[in-house]
Formats: sequence, C-alpha cells, structure tokens
Amino acid sequence: MTEQIAPAPPGTRASLPRRESRARRVGRAATPLLWIGPAIALIGVVVLWPVVVMFRTSFQHISPDGFVLGSAGGKNYADLFHEPDLKGVLTRTVVWVVAVVAVTMLISLGLAQLFNERFPGRRVARWALIAPWAASVMMTSLVFRWALDANNGVINVFLHDVGLLKSFNSNQADWLGRPWSAFVWMMVVAVFVSLPFSTYALLAGLQTIPGELYEAARVDGASRWRIYRSITLPLLRPALLVSALINVINVFNSFPIIWEMTRGGPGFQTSTTTTFMFLLKQSYIGESAAMSVLNFGLVIVIVLVFLRATRWKQQVT
Amino acid sequence: MKRGLIAAAALTAAAALAVSGCSSSKKSGGSSGNASTTLKLVAADYGTGPDNTSQKYWQGIADAFHTQNPTITVTVQTINWNDFDNQVQTMVQNHQFPDITEGDYFSNYAQEGLLYKASDVLTNASNLMPVFSKLGSYQGAQYGLPFTTSSRTLFYNKKLFQQAGISSAPQTWADVQADATKIKAQGKIGFGLPLGSEEAQAESLLWMLGNGGNYQDTSGTWTIDSSANVETFQFLKQLVQSGGTEPNPGNKNRTDLWKQFAQGQIGMINGSPALIPILQQGKVLGNTDWTSVPIAGKSGPIQSTLGVCDFVAAFKNGGTSKQAAIKKFLDFAYQDKYQIQFDKQYDLLPATTSAATSLQSDPIFGPFLKALPNAVQYPSSTAWAQVKTQIQHTIGTAVTGDPKQVLGAIQQTAKKGS
Repeated sequence: MTEQIAPAPPGTRASLPRRESRARRVGRAATPLLWIGPAIALIGVVVLWPVVVMFRTSFQHISPDGFVLGSAGGKNYADLFHEPDLKGVLTRTVVWVVAVVAVTMLISLGLAQLFNERFPGRRVARWALIAPWAASVMMTSLVFRWALDANNGVINVFLHDVGLLKSFNSNQADWLGRPWSAFVWMMVVAVFVSLPFSTYALLAGLQTIPGELYEAARVDGASRWRIYRSITLPLLRPALLVSALINVINVFNSFPIIWEMTRGGPGFQTSTTTTFMFLLKQSYIGESAAMSVLNFGLVIVIVLVFLRATRWKQQVT
Repeated sequence: MKRGLIAAAALTAAAALAVSGCSSSKKSGGSSGNASTTLKLVAADYGTGPDNTSQKYWQGIADAFHTQNPTITVTVQTINWNDFDNQVQTMVQNHQFPDITEGDYFSNYAQEGLLYKASDVLTNASNLMPVFSKLGSYQGAQYGLPFTTSSRTLFYNKKLFQQAGISSAPQTWADVQADATKIKAQGKIGFGLPLGSEEAQAESLLWMLGNGGNYQDTSGTWTIDSSANVETFQFLKQLVQSGGTEPNPGNKNRTDLWKQFAQGQIGMINGSPALIPILQQGKVLGNTDWTSVPIAGKSGPIQSTLGVCDFVAAFKNGGTSKQAAIKKFLDFAYQDKYQIQFDKQYDLLPATTSAATSLQSDPIFGPFLKALPNAVQYPSSTAWAQVKTQIQHTIGTAVTGDPKQVLGAIQQTAKKGS
C-alpha cells in the first residue's frame, strides 16, 4: 500500500504539462482500436447491419421474388398479427423454450454431479457425452425422424417387441404425425443436443468449489442434501445462470430440429416462431421480416427478464 | 498519428473483406465474343438415389455440349424435389439468378420480367407440345419451355387385393372406401394419401377432379372453396378417420409413400409413370403384382386426368452473348435423343412433338401419351406460386380440422394475389 502512495515516477501523466498529455492520451486511446477495430468492423457488418436491414425490410412491400415495390407502412405487422396461426405459434414457442431449458438444466445438474465423482471409466463417459454435441443437429434430427418412422422405425420396432405397440402404421406408431406427440419428441431431441454443453458448464462450476468447504460441512454434521442445497447450489449459481441463459437463446433460435422432423407441419401445428418465420418467407418477405423483428424483440425481452429475475450483476460479477 | 492511421487502415481492410465476402457471388456478367462463358444450370433431381440422379443426365449433356462448344461451360446443380421450389425461390429473392432452371416454373418470374421468351432461347420453340406451351405462357408470350410431362393414374397392389378378396379395380369413392377397409383388415394401409408439403397440390387436385371440382373454373375464377371441393375433403376426412389411409396424411410425402407402396405396404395410391422404376427397384412387387387404372371419382373414374409438366426457364442474367450461349445449349439439350433418354430413364413423357411422335407406338408410353392432350393442368395465374405454397403447407389440416375453413383460407390468398 505505502509504495503506491509514493511520488509518481517521471513520465506518468500527473507530472507532465497538460497539452502534451492530451495528445498522448488520444494516441493511447486509439491504440486499443488497432486491436479491436477488425472485431468491431466484423460485428458492425455481420451483426448490426443485418439488424438494420431486417427492420427496413419489415416496413417494405416486397414481391415474392424479392423486388421492392415501395413502402408498406405497418401493413406487414398488421398482416402478421392477423395470422390465425400466430397465437398458437407464440404459445408453442414459450412451451418449447421453458420446457427444453428446464429439463436440460435438471438433467445436467445430475449428470455433472455424476461426472464429478470418481468412478472407473469416467474419462470414457465424459468423452462419450460430447457425441450429441459434436454431431450435427440436423443429422441427429434425421436419425430420430427415421427411428420414429411409423412403418419400421427402430423405436417403434422396440416398442412393438416389448408389447407396448400393437401395430405398425397405426396412429399410435405415427409419433411425428400427431402434432402434440411430434412436439414432445422434438423437445426430447432438443434436450438431447443441449445436454453436453450445460453439463460441461456445470461440471466446470463444480470443480471450482473448494473441497475444504465440504469437509467443514461434514465436520459440522450436515446431511448430504443439506450440503448440496447450502454449499453446492449457491456456489454453482454463476455457472448455472450462464449456461441456462445461453440455452434459452439457443433453444429459442432452434431451427434444424423442427425443420428436419416435421417442417413445422401439419399446417403450422408444430412450428415455433423461428420456423414460422422461415415458412412465411417463401411468399411474404416483408411479413417474414416483421416476424424476425418480433423474434428479435422477444429474445431481447426474454434475456432482460432473465437477467433481472436472477439479479445477474450481484451474482456473476 | 501513425497508430491511428494503421488502425484506420485495419478497419477499412476488415470492412472491405467483409463486404467483398458478401458480394463475391456476383458474376462478372456477359463478356465479349471469344471469351469463355459459363452457364449455371439448376435442375430438379428426378432420381431416387446416387445411381440415377439427374446430375448424371445433365452432366452428360453438358460435357457433350462442351466438346462441341469449347468456349461455353455449363455447370450443373441438381436439387431434390422436396427443396427445389424453396431453393430456387431463395436464389431469385437474393437476385442470384441461375441462368437456366428445369423443374417447376412460375409465371410470376415472367411477370417480373426475369425470363427470356421461349423464342429467344430456343430455335424451334414450335416443336414444344402446344397444350403445355400454353401453360408456360404469360400475357400471350411463352416463357416456360415444357421439358418433361407426365399424367396420373391409380396404381393398386393386385396381390393385396386378392388376399383381401377384392376382384375388380376401384372405380368410385365408395369402392375406394370399401377396398381400403378390407385391405386394412389385412394389416396393411388401404390408400396412400400424400397431403404433405412435397406435392399436396397434385393429390388434392386429383380428388377434386373426381367430384367435378378444380382450383379454378374454366373462366379462370378461383373456386378452391367451392361446395364440390369442400364435399371432396369431407369425404377424405371421413376416409382418414375410418382408418382407410395411412395415419395423419397431413405430413406424409409422395416419395415416401411411393416407396412404401413398392414395399407392398399400401393397397392403392395415385401415381405417375415415375412410380414404375421405384416398383422395379424395390423388387418386392413383380410386374404382374400391380397395375394402374384411371383414377376413381365420386361416381366413376375421372375422364381427364392431371397432366403435369416441368419446364425449362432461362433467366436474363447477362448480355446478349450469354443469351446466345443459352440458346445454343437449349437447342442442343432439346434434341430428341436427350428427350427420349430422359423419358426412358425416369419413365416420364416427352414434351416435344417430335419426341412424342417417335414414342407413339411404344407399349409403355403410348397410352399415357394419348391421354396427354386432354389432360387437366394447374392454373397458370401469377398467384399460383403463393397459392401452391399455402396448399402444400396447410391443406393436410383439412382432413383433421374443418375442410371449409382450410379451403376458405387458401381461397382468400388466391383472390388477394390475382
């Protein structure tokens, strides 16, 4: 402490005349720009510019073949809000995000705990968990789609062999044909592909908790459940919040699972806002852009509410 | 100062990189006389796998053409039918036009002035079959060049019919209902009804025709939610509910169901000659185990079936030298030998009069060819592209929900668009 209070060595800001210091300060301020400039340019062109174009497009009247025919005013938004399917699509999106993220986080908590213990084959098990993450989501979805085929899908064959499924090609066997069961199966796939990331994030969190805390708790005679609730969970909170937030954004934007398994159909009965937007684009570019703006707004609101509800700042920084 | 300069330079470089990354797909455009020209051909894939993909067919033509015209290179891209419309539409929306497409054609591209007239890119345009040329026309001028055609018939599995104790082919809806129930009792699917997004517009029209309905009346007025069509879908809804079809037809696609028919899992299905190679490949049904008959209607087989035509369209994408190159290539590709090669490979029908004449006496193609000139076709209105998209996505819900409401919503879109 005392050393820092000692008089400043020559060459620091305080000891120089004012004008020179300003020139230097500008120079110094510009230096970081050299390093972050390319990144800023990239963000500007790849992230911000498309957002601007998206907003602009949503107010334009565009032919299905991509020709701008002038301003549409708020008509694209009016059309969008008059879509009879919009309400169902929005409700489904909420169910999709909440259910997938909640189930993912719960299973990940268990898995992370398991992988934090020592057991023979732990290394192999940890590696195996990467598989759903490493495989392309589209590939995983296709595998599930064919596994659920009503005629000869492997899941149906299994269910038939154990006697749970009476006959192939029946309504019961046609998991992806009934909107609700299709939606549930797609959520299963979404959880499956989200697990590795959250589990690793939580595992990393678990490993930062010092062993002495557990030791002290055990000396005090705390039960296992008590230790988990009072030590593990609170200290895991930062990791839990970060991975949940990233999952919320990922799951909200999830496209390939739904597209490959049902294309959002029949009708729009298994669409979320992301696939709905894509389906609209085929004929109605402006309205689809309006849906994109709504999506953009939704994801920002969800993130803000999430940060607020979890008192992010106090917890993470 | 120096640092600032470097920073600015870095920034500009990064921006330039990013921007050029976005626009690098723009072509250099038509160039002068001797320089080489590259044409981008985007075609739908009619094949069922890597062995008979249309990529091979087109590459063969492109290579033969290139040997004769070393200055013109044709690059071939084939897209499977499920994604074809969507991907071509995206290319058009992004203004990254292909030079030539073969597959679905939409008159709205002609309306936007994106296409060359048929006579500008094909020397002998009058050789194209007149009925289909009319379908490729917009405001009196022809833009879509018919390339291949087909007509629809009802295929049924004779083996399954025999097992179920059915002696004659279905002729009416009542027959379809009764036969489907009997086949279901054998543990198989009675009628394969593909109302999923791949080609719901064809299946729907075939049923509408059976009740004297259509998408438009003869004067070109949209009649999608006419009482005849609503009645048709009420029948289908009841057929589905009684278990006469595969479960949930709303998301079942033609190709998948055709394959299932070839596996002997389905009793009846509407098909085109293109189903024949799938049956032969499947090796489950022998040539005597199936047959095809006119499509059953409400009170008797329909008189004129759906004739489907796929078109070639040429996009205005460069200067006159490019147009000349396109014309050279299309003249080459439209030779009878390539028409017939295509038809033999996929069991489809030719679209040029000369090729049709040379196939007239063929035992397989002859009967289909005779029916072609009277065939019913899809609407040629510019709104059809949008209407078709909506039919593909939503008409499947008419057999689970309220037919009147679903058809009414499509009718609204059609009326708004035209």
